[in-house]
Amino acid sequence: MLHDLLFDYTLRTVALGAATLGIVSGSLGTYAVLRGQSLLGDAISHAALPGVALAFMLTGSKAPLVLVIGAALAGWIGTLAVMTVVRRSRIPYDAALGMVLSVFFGFGLVLLVSVQRHPTGNQAGLDTFLFGQAAALVASDLVVMATLGVLALGVALLFWKEFKLLAFDDEFGASLGLPMRRLDILLTTLLVIAIVIGLQTVGVVLMSAILVAPAAAARQWTDRLGLMMGIAAFFGALAGAGGAILSATTARLPTGPTIVIFAGVLVVVSLLFAPQRGLVAAWLRARRNRTNLREIGVLEDLYTLALQHPTDPRHPHPVATLETMTAHPESVKAGLASLAERGFAEPIGEAQWSLTDAGFAAAAAIARNTRLEER
Amino acid sequence: MTPAQLDIQLIAAVTAAACALPGVFLVLRRVSLMSDAISHAILPGLVLAFFVTENLASPLLIVAAAATGVLTVVLIEALSRTERVKEDAAIGIVFPILFSVGVILIARFASGVHLDVDAVLLGELAFAPFNRFEVGGVDLGPQALWVMGPILVLNLVFLAVFFKELKLSTFDAGLAAALGFAPGALHYALMTLVSVTAVGAFDAVGSILVVALMIAPPATAYLLTDRLTTMLGLSAGIGVLSAIAGYWTANLFDTSIAGAMATMAGVAFALTFAFAPERGLVAQAQRRRSQRRTFAEKMLTVHLLHHENTPQEERECRVPHLQEHLRWSPDFARLAVDAAVRDGYVLRDADRLSLTEPGRAWAQESMVD
Amino acid sequence: MPNAIDVTDLTVAYRDTPVLWDIDLAVPEGVLMAIVGPNGAGKTTLIKAMLGLVDVAAGQTLIYGEPYARQRSLVAYVPQRGSVDWDFPTSVLDVVMMGLYGRLGWVKRPGKKERAAALEALDKVGMQDLADRQISQLSGGQQQRVFLARALVQDAQVYFMDEPFQGVDATTERAIVTLLQELRQAGKTLVVVHHDLQTVPEYFDWVLLLNVRRLAVGPVAEVFTEENLRLTYGGRIPFVQAASVNEP
Repeated sequence: MLHDLLFDYTLRTVALGAATLGIVSGSLGTYAVLRGQSLLGDAISHAALPGVALAFMLTGSKAPLVLVIGAALAGWIGTLAVMTVVRRSRIPYDAALGMVLSVFFGFGLVLLVSVQRHPTGNQAGLDTFLFGQAAALVASDLVVMATLGVLALGVALLFWKEFKLLAFDDEFGASLGLPMRRLDILLTTLLVIAIVIGLQTVGVVLMSAILVAPAAAARQWTDRLGLMMGIAAFFGALAGAGGAILSATTARLPTGPTIVIFAGVLVVVSLLFAPQRGLVAAWLRARRNRTNLREIGVLEDLYTLALQHPTDPRHPHPVATLETMTAHPESVKAGLASLAERGFAEPIGEAQWSLTDAGFAAAAAIARNTRLEER
Repeated sequence: MTPAQLDIQLIAAVTAAACALPGVFLVLRRVSLMSDAISHAILPGLVLAFFVTENLASPLLIVAAAATGVLTVVLIEALSRTERVKEDAAIGIVFPILFSVGVILIARFASGVHLDVDAVLLGELAFAPFNRFEVGGVDLGPQALWVMGPILVLNLVFLAVFFKELKLSTFDAGLAAALGFAPGALHYALMTLVSVTAVGAFDAVGSILVVALMIAPPATAYLLTDRLTTMLGLSAGIGVLSAIAGYWTANLFDTSIAGAMATMAGVAFALTFAFAPERGLVAQAQRRRSQRRTFAEKMLTVHLLHHENTPQEERECRVPHLQEHLRWSPDFARLAVDAAVRDGYVLRDADRLSLTEPGRAWAQESMVD
Repeated sequence: MPNAIDVTDLTVAYRDTPVLWDIDLAVPEGVLMAIVGPNGAGKTTLIKAMLGLVDVAAGQTLIYGEPYARQRSLVAYVPQRGSVDWDFPTSVLDVVMMGLYGRLGWVKRPGKKERAAALEALDKVGMQDLADRQISQLSGGQQQRVFLARALVQDAQVYFMDEPFQGVDATTERAIVTLLQELRQAGKTLVVVHHDLQTVPEYFDWVLLLNVRRLAVGPVAEVFTEENLRLTYGGRIPFVQAASVNEP
């Protein structure tokens, strides 16, 4: 495998191409996710289809740059259509997205099929734009992808603080005198570029997932924008290269869906196992809190009982008594066990417990704090 | 017109009407993109059911796909409830994954049989008339009609029975819940309906163009009416017209029928967006022109009222001042002053302006709005 | 000496409905002014219109005698706390430094100097220990303090604040009031959208009563009268009702 990757020209091209698209869409997708534009990418990628078909019909060329320009223009027009419809009518944003997505795609299909049925049409390769075909990537595609990608990322880094402000608080930015509307257009253009770079490899249908999934996964691992972007780029590259290589080396495994599954696994793993935001970590924290609360409850009850024997604070008390004092009698034994571990309580004889000196002091401190808080 | 052509148009029309009805509620409840999510995500359910039955016409396919559709909604909601992912991102993650699973299943295990990826994505109406529904050797018409017809009836019945509840929960979910209408259950019922409709329409128009038929006609109707019943009727009508226009366009240019239907639905929306009687762009522009004048007139009278009997009156209530302080162009200031004088709201003495009694009343009234 | 803020004939309309009608306003330097009025009175819109954040149908705003666009460096803005996503992946210090982005110029990144200025501003609002904290881990009061620090770091002459007391705890409210009064004593001018009528006389020295129109403006002692409030709120005055409850 590693040998193939290093020396097999096709495989190397495929892996590099898919990694490039993963890096670009992962990092720029970060902004889409943070700005609540996750589904705009879906509309843009579908809207790109008629652009690809028209670019081919008008020029007769399948050169990657020609098709990418067509796709970018159509994607842009689609975005513009969404914005215009939302601004100038009462159609909700989501309906405008859905409409642009499906109508543009339908129109693209009309063009594509009529090219296919045209006797002179040499359409082969155009329908890879539906589901993508990594194996079809060649060096010239790679050059176009890399050039556009470096350009887009360069602009994103150049306007780093402006874009951050746009995503976090655009109105405050406007109050500072920054041209937020123009920055918005610029960032959307970068998003369009990220999408068209991936169309040939992933396809219009699933491209938006490569935009959203790596960024959503990366968000779980960090609380810093820069790191989030870096991790998203890494995840994007991982999913892109992994999916593309697997697809290119396996028969009947379409590229786009394979990459999406890779990205999906990254999302699930991140959601579950990220150290701070991960669901497992959150669950463990909640359980620890519950254990602490249970301990404190039993400790307080033992303390109350001990106060009834002022002369003998270490007087033993039956578990059954403790169980009548709480709404959660089933948790008393576990609570006593963990108190014993800390050295706050000890068993005396059969099902009898008493506080240790340390336990008595701790309980007294808790009681004092509670009184202070209630005041 | 050949019988096959008639069949295709009939199937297309029934499909469009069946899609438009639940679509109205998707648009109004701002969950339009659930149609996109569901129509893609039901694929693995469909494929698995196909593996079991090995029959594309089996009703089990519809049941399985509908169940997958509901599962999609549940997954999206569960994901956004973790508060780790926003809802739009949750949609954008869940349905591509499910769809990918479906595509891979087909590519790996079902290539060569009737189910292929292009058909799922794009649909193919042209062959629909040749797939006949026969009982005991008697030809009862195209099979697709026997799928979509009952689905259309199901949608109609559902809307008729739950019309009041749907209406209330769409416009005031809080009140509906307070009245014990279980908006949650209704939401899932609607999503099930969307899933069933999407599966039925799959064959004819494919998973992406279903979205066009579900969203575009209701959105078009939304620009034409405020009444829910009218909107439902209009949506179905626009859907049917787009379908038939799409068929003949595809015929003319020898291209994809489903694609042309979606395109026509888009054209219908674009035309309405531009020319709708009240909400169209043209009507908006006309209204704005006349309102701009009325508004300017109002502003002028309010301005004069505001400065009546104040020390600044001498300075404020003059034509040049309007240009200077209200930032009006000389032309616009002249337009407003002329209109106000003509309507008898303002008296003009050289540059000095003052309110008439009706002008004063009108200005006071304007400010109450 | 020009006024800190001069608004003339400001009118804002949403589609065809007027939101603000022909507002004239002159705020002298060194004044701590509350904007009060019922919901939908256009309080937030007025601030945004003065800052050029919404399109105006007519009128203009001058800051120290010059149009706002030329005086941006003299102005700081505290938007409503709820206007941003507090789950955004960034730190307290980062948000505060955003106040310097306008001055920093294109492309340049904030450096040591900006860091120091931001830390100083955080110190003034008692948040220096939380500089590296992720913003989603802040309480409502802490979020508000971060926004205030971001405005402080702008080192402006005129401050526009949109409901800085909304959803903050009593301690924070006290701290913010003290801070605002210190700023006023330093000769700054502050315009604050405020909801709680009862605290107006205690916190502010000027007040603008607004309900689409300007109903009254001036020193609290002069214009914060029951009659003016009745004009503004149309009879139902939360203040008067609350005050009568307090009476024995």
